[in-house]
Amino acid sequence: MKKIIATLLACAMVVSLAACGGNKDAKSGSENATASTTSTDTTTLRINLASEPGYLDPALNSSVDGACLAVNSFVGLYVYDENSQLQPALSDGEPEISEDGLTYTFKLIESKWSNGEELTANDFVYSWNRAVAPETAADYAYMFTPIATNDDGTLQVEAVDDYTLKVQLVSPCAYFLDLVAFPTYLPVYQKGVEEANPDGTTPGAWAQEAGFVSNGAFTLDTWNHEESMVYVKNPNYYRADDVKLEKLEFMLSADDTAIYAAYNAGDLDFADSVPTDEVGNLLDNPEFNIIDTLGTYYVCFNVGSKMFDGLTAEQAAEMRQALSLLIDRQYIVDTVGQTGQVPADTFIPDGMADGNGGVFEASDFGYYDATKTGAEKVEEAKALLEDCGYSFEDDGNGGYTISPALSVTYLTNSGTGHEAIAQCIQQDWGALGIEVNIETEEWNVFLEDRKAGNYDIARNGWIADFNDPINMLEMWLSGGGNNDTQLGTSNSAAAPKWDEYDALINQIYTETDFAKRVDLMRQAEDMLMETGAIVPIYYSNDIYLQKPNVKGVYASLNQNKYFMYAEKTAE
Amino acid sequence: MTKYITKRILLAIVSIWIITLITFFTMNAIPGGPFNKEKATSAAVIATLEARYNLDKPLGEQYVLYMTNLLHGDWGISLHSGRDIWTDIWSRFQVSAKLGGRAAAVAIVIGIVLGSIAALTRNKLPDRLIVFFTTLGTAMPSFVLATLLLLVFCLKLSLIPVWSSSDPNYILPVIALSVYPMAYITRLTKTSMLDALNQDYVRTARAKGVSKVKVIFVHALRNALIPVITYVGPMVAYILTGSMVVENIFTIGGLGSVFVTSINNRDYPVIMAVTIFLAILMVIANLLTDIVYKLVDPRIKLD
Repeated sequence: MKKIIATLLACAMVVSLAACGGNKDAKSGSENATASTTSTDTTTLRINLASEPGYLDPALNSSVDGACLAVNSFVGLYVYDENSQLQPALSDGEPEISEDGLTYTFKLIESKWSNGEELTANDFVYSWNRAVAPETAADYAYMFTPIATNDDGTLQVEAVDDYTLKVQLVSPCAYFLDLVAFPTYLPVYQKGVEEANPDGTTPGAWAQEAGFVSNGAFTLDTWNHEESMVYVKNPNYYRADDVKLEKLEFMLSADDTAIYAAYNAGDLDFADSVPTDEVGNLLDNPEFNIIDTLGTYYVCFNVGSKMFDGLTAEQAAEMRQALSLLIDRQYIVDTVGQTGQVPADTFIPDGMADGNGGVFEASDFGYYDATKTGAEKVEEAKALLEDCGYSFEDDGNGGYTISPALSVTYLTNSGTGHEAIAQCIQQDWGALGIEVNIETEEWNVFLEDRKAGNYDIARNGWIADFNDPINMLEMWLSGGGNNDTQLGTSNSAAAPKWDEYDALINQIYTETDFAKRVDLMRQAEDMLMETGAIVPIYYSNDIYLQKPNVKGVYASLNQNKYFMYAEKTAE
Repeated sequence: MTKYITKRILLAIVSIWIITLITFFTMNAIPGGPFNKEKATSAAVIATLEARYNLDKPLGEQYVLYMTNLLHGDWGISLHSGRDIWTDIWSRFQVSAKLGGRAAAVAIVIGIVLGSIAALTRNKLPDRLIVFFTTLGTAMPSFVLATLLLLVFCLKLSLIPVWSSSDPNYILPVIALSVYPMAYITRLTKTSMLDALNQDYVRTARAKGVSKVKVIFVHALRNALIPVITYVGPMVAYILTGSMVVENIFTIGGLGSVFVTSINNRDYPVIMAVTIFLAILMVIANLLTDIVYKLVDPRIKLD
C-alpha cells in the first residue's frame, strides 16, 4: 500500500512542478524578485498609472492615464515644466502673436519622428485637422474651437514653410498656449495613421500595438495587453540628451491591492493609486506625495427636481444655499478626503490662472467660510429654509423636525469615498430633520442618470483640462453635455432663468480685453453660485507613491505625469 | 457515435443562436451606454460613432447585421478601444488557457491522487489530513487565497515578484486557481473510489489474485473516475476562460476580466463575442465529456 501511495504522490508532484512552471517562468520570477528588491537597475522606471488604456492615439484619448502616456511619447509645440509653467517644446521660443491677438505664428525647431523622418509644420496641420474631422470622432475635438475654421470645416492652420506654422483664431484666446500643450494637440505621424486606417473606420488603429512612430521621449516597444507596456528611449527626441532613463515599464492594473503590493515588494518605483484604507497610514511616509491639481469635488442639484415644486426660483436657490451651508466640509476633508484637501468656498479652484497674468480667485475671497459650514450654520440655514415655507420644531434631542417633511435622494456611484461623503451629508442635513436617501448606482448608469437629470442631488467633480476658468464655467451653458444641473434646460418654474448666463459665456468667448474678460468670468461664477445648484465641497489634489531613489518626476495641474527627465539612483 | 456527435453539434448551434438572441436583447435593455463618460462626449461625436457601429439602427436590424457579420467571420470592433475583437479575444484566451490549462492539470492530477490516497487510507491520518485541507480549499474564496499567496510569497518571503514586465509568473495564480477544483475532485474521487472498492468486480479481481496495483488503478480507479469526469468537463472550460479575480490580482491579461470590463463599458460587440466564445467552449467541453465517458466505460450508451 505504501508503495502505491508513494507512486501516486510522485505523479502528483511531477505534474504540479511542470504545471507551475518550474522552468523559464519560475527562473525569471526569482531573478526579478532579486532585481526589484535591490533596485540595481537605474535605467528603468517601473510605473503604475492605471489598467489598459483605451486609446494611445493622442487625438482619441480621453482618459488621464492615456494623456500621461501621450505626453511621455509625443511632444508638441509647448509642454509643462516641473513648476507647471508652460515652456516652448518644438516651438522655437514664443510664437509671434499679431496685434489683434488673432494670429499665432510658431517657428518650429528641427526635430524628427522616432523613425528618423523630419517633423515639419505640415505634421501639425495634418494632426490638428485630423483631430477635428467628424470621421475621427474625437471626444476632445472641441478643444480646437478657439481656432477659426474654413467653409469645409478644416482649421485655419497653415504651414507657411516646413518650420513655420500659422494659426488663425476666432477671437483672442487667453489660454491658447495651454491648449497647444494639451495631448489632443500633439502631432501624429500621417503615413502611419493612414496606412492603418485604409477605409476610414478605424482612426485609432495605428496606435493599437507597439512599434508605432512617435516623437516624444519614449516610444512603445512592447505591449502585453492588461499586463505591461515597455517604452524605450527615443534617440530622435529633441532633448534626448536630457533623458537619463532607458526604459519605462508600466504595470497595467487597476487593482489597488496588487499595485500596493507590487510597490511594497519593490516591483514598482511609482504608483499613481493608493488603497483608500491605506491613505491614513501613509500620511507621514516621505514616499507618499500630495500635489496640487486644478479641480473641485462638488455636489450638484437638479434644478428641475420635484423637491423644489411650489417654490419660486429665488426660494429654490435659497433652499439650495441653506442645504449647502449645512454641509460640514472640514469634517469631510478630515475624515474622508484625509490628504489635506482645502474645503471649497468657490467653484473655480484656488490657484487657477485668470488668463490675464494673475490668479482668478483672490486668496481671501469665498462665497462663504468653508471651514465653518455645518453645525455653526444651522441657524442661518434654518432661517433660509423658513423663507421657503418650512418650519422647525425642537425634537428634544438637539435636533429638529421639519414641516412639511422633506425627503431627498442623493445619487452617487459606488466607491468608498463617494459613499462616505454621502453619509456625511446625510448626517449634516439630518440635523434639521431632512431625510436623505442615498442611492448608489453602477458607474455607467450613474453617469446616464446624472446627465439626464434623473436625480435630486448628485455627487460630481471636475478636473480642469487647461488652466483657465472658462473650462469650468462653460460646462453650465444651456444644453451643454456636462450641465448635469439642467440649468437652462429645465422647464420647472423653480429653475432659474439662464439666458443671461449663456450670453455672458458667449461674451467671454469673444472679449478681446483680457482684464474685462476676468470680470466677466467672475460675474459668471457669481451667477452660478447664486443659483446654489453647485455646492463645492473641496478642491481636489492628487496623490502618488514614489521611491526615494527616484527624482525628477513631475505633474501638471491637470494631472499629467511627466517621466522623461526622471532619474533613478541605486538605493 | 458519429450520429450522436452530429446531433449534438446541431443542438449546440441552436443553443448558441438562442444565447445570442437573449444576450443581445438583454444587454441592450440594461441602462447605460457605450459612450457615457465623466466628461461628456458631444452629441455630434456620439452620432458619428453610433452610425459607424450601426447603433443608430433599430435593435432588430442591429441584431441581423451583427449575426450576418459574425457568420462571415467578422466579430466586430470594440466600441471602447476600437480594436478588432477576435484578435483581442483570441490572444487573451491563449493567456487564460495557458494559465487555466496548468491549473486544470494540477487540479485533476492532484485531486485524483489525493482522493485515491484518502480512499485507500480511510479514517487514518493521511485521510484526515486530506479531508481537512480539502474542506479548507473548498471553503476559501479564490480572492482570499490569491491575496494570501501574494502576501506570503511576494511580500513576506520575497520569493516571487508581484509583477514583472518580462514574464508573468504563473506559480501563484496556478495555485490560486487550482485549489478549489482540486479539493472538489479530491472529495469526488474519494467517495467514488470507496464505492468502487466495495464493488463485486473489485472483490472478484482480488480473489483471482490480481495484483493490488492493478486492482486499484485498472479496476477501481477507472470506474471511480466517471463522476469526476462529469465535473471536470465544465470545470476545464470554466477555468480555461480565466478568472477575473485571479487575473487582476496577479496582473495577467487573460479573458477573465474582458467580460466584466465589457459589461461595465457597455461594449456591446465585445459582450456578444465573449458570450458566444464561452458558449462554444462550454458546448465543446460537454461534448468531449460525453465522449470520454464512452471511452472510460464502454457500457454507457451515448444515444
